[in-house]
Amino acid sequence: MGDDPLADLAQLASDLGPVLRPRGDEEFLQAIVETARLVFDAAACSIALLDDFEEVLEFRVAAGTGAEATVGLKIPADRGIAGWAVVAGQPIAIDDVRQDPRFASDVAESTGYVPRSIMAMPLESERRTFGVIEVLDRRQSGGHGADDMELLGLFARQATLAVETSRIFSNLGQALFEAAALAAPGLDVRAALAKRAATAPKAQTELAELALLFHDLGRLGADERLVAVRIVDDFLTYARKHQR
Amino acid sequence: MKPAWAWQFDPGTLRHVEAALPTAITREWAWEGSTGAGVKVAVIDSGIDATNPAVGSVAGGAVVVADPDALRGARVIEGPHEDLFGHGTACAAIIHAVAPDAELYSVRVLGEKLTGRGTVFAEGMRWALAHGMQVLNMSLSTSRVDYYGMFHEITDAAYFKQAMVVCAVNNVRAPSYPSQYASVFSVAAHSGRDPFRLEYNPSPPVEFGAPGIDLEVAWLGGKTIRATGNSFAAPHISGLIARILGKHPTLTPFQMKTVLMAVADNTA
Repeated sequence: MGDDPLADLAQLASDLGPVLRPRGDEEFLQAIVETARLVFDAAACSIALLDDFEEVLEFRVAAGTGAEATVGLKIPADRGIAGWAVVAGQPIAIDDVRQDPRFASDVAESTGYVPRSIMAMPLESERRTFGVIEVLDRRQSGGHGADDMELLGLFARQATLAVETSRIFSNLGQALFEAAALAAPGLDVRAALAKRAATAPKAQTELAELALLFHDLGRLGADERLVAVRIVDDFLTYARKHQR
Repeated sequence: MKPAWAWQFDPGTLRHVEAALPTAITREWAWEGSTGAGVKVAVIDSGIDATNPAVGSVAGGAVVVADPDALRGARVIEGPHEDLFGHGTACAAIIHAVAPDAELYSVRVLGEKLTGRGTVFAEGMRWALAHGMQVLNMSLSTSRVDYYGMFHEITDAAYFKQAMVVCAVNNVRAPSYPSQYASVFSVAAHSGRDPFRLEYNPSPPVEFGAPGIDLEVAWLGGKTIRATGNSFAAPHISGLIARILGKHPTLTPFQMKTVLMAVADNTA
């Protein structure tokens, strides 16, 4: 530990989030797709998660044929059978997907495997939609499509809980840091924020710098703060309007 | 002194209402001779491909898009549009297979950005209600609890306008909206293929069963595909309701549920 306990605490809290995080994100999801693939005796099973803008689905884990090529693939969230399941919030099974000209066949072809059947179920909690789980060319169905969906629904529920829990832990570091900063008004918060901005991972640097700016703004007069709030508010309105 | 609303039941005010229900409700009474003509059905989905021969015709429609500047976060653009996925076309063809002369309106709410899709669904429902739709087919849902109140308000408004809201239930055993509400016709798939086979579940929230497993359904490009989902069961019920309304246009949602229950295969 250094001379600045708050900065150390901030660093520790930030590091602890990912470390304490359950091994849900990748390993647990991988276990789910492997189990599902075995249960359905399917050619492949995969899970794709939405990005923060809810515009892109990225395949995070996969098992079976074409698994290596599938992981990391990104497709627009409004495309194909998986896209429909995500936007409609409804599971769907289609048994001759090549008949569907809008099926993302280029995606299937780039993985080296073009399926005949696909079953897709959204990963949804009561707070948000996380993505979709897909099963390609299942052989253990025996025509009981509804039972398959019920079963896939259970896998989807597990995956949803895993992703949700994992995200909560990932954000824990930041939450602890913010709480620590708020709870210690007597310490030199500015120094902690500056250090945080200098050492934060790239994605968090801007937010840490923004926090620093807010800290400095807090020391200005009421009028200056009011103008600053208006400028930020106007910028947000503008940015939202022109977002993508 | 009278409590509020009591005036509605004053002898001079209360209208005589023709209770369209006979003592024995049969399928013959319910829909024989009807084609669904004159009944407006909104397919709130991904659009409808009107050129698909199984669809027949589309009377009109609108596209709803998310718009943060709009009053309720979504904007409606009326006019013809394509089906972005194929699913709306499948629903339209199923409704016309059961009620061939029902007036279909495509309300496209799927295919735009995901963010704000609950408000887009809701605006699609509002458009349908404002344009006199008698049946709203919704083969879609959201589990997000933030939308609970908004969808409840709209389904109540639909009920008071005597519009029938038909919803596919989600497959996950958790509440999804708007299929969760008591006034809604909540539908899941049974294993039959006969479009007129209808089942009633006395243990709601899922109240009605219709075909939705391994069905040959219309899709994009004039093609058909074999598909499974509660989303294909809902339009069967919408079609039946349109057919019944074609013959008995004054039925209310609660009467319609009684009729469907009476003619169901497991109760008739």
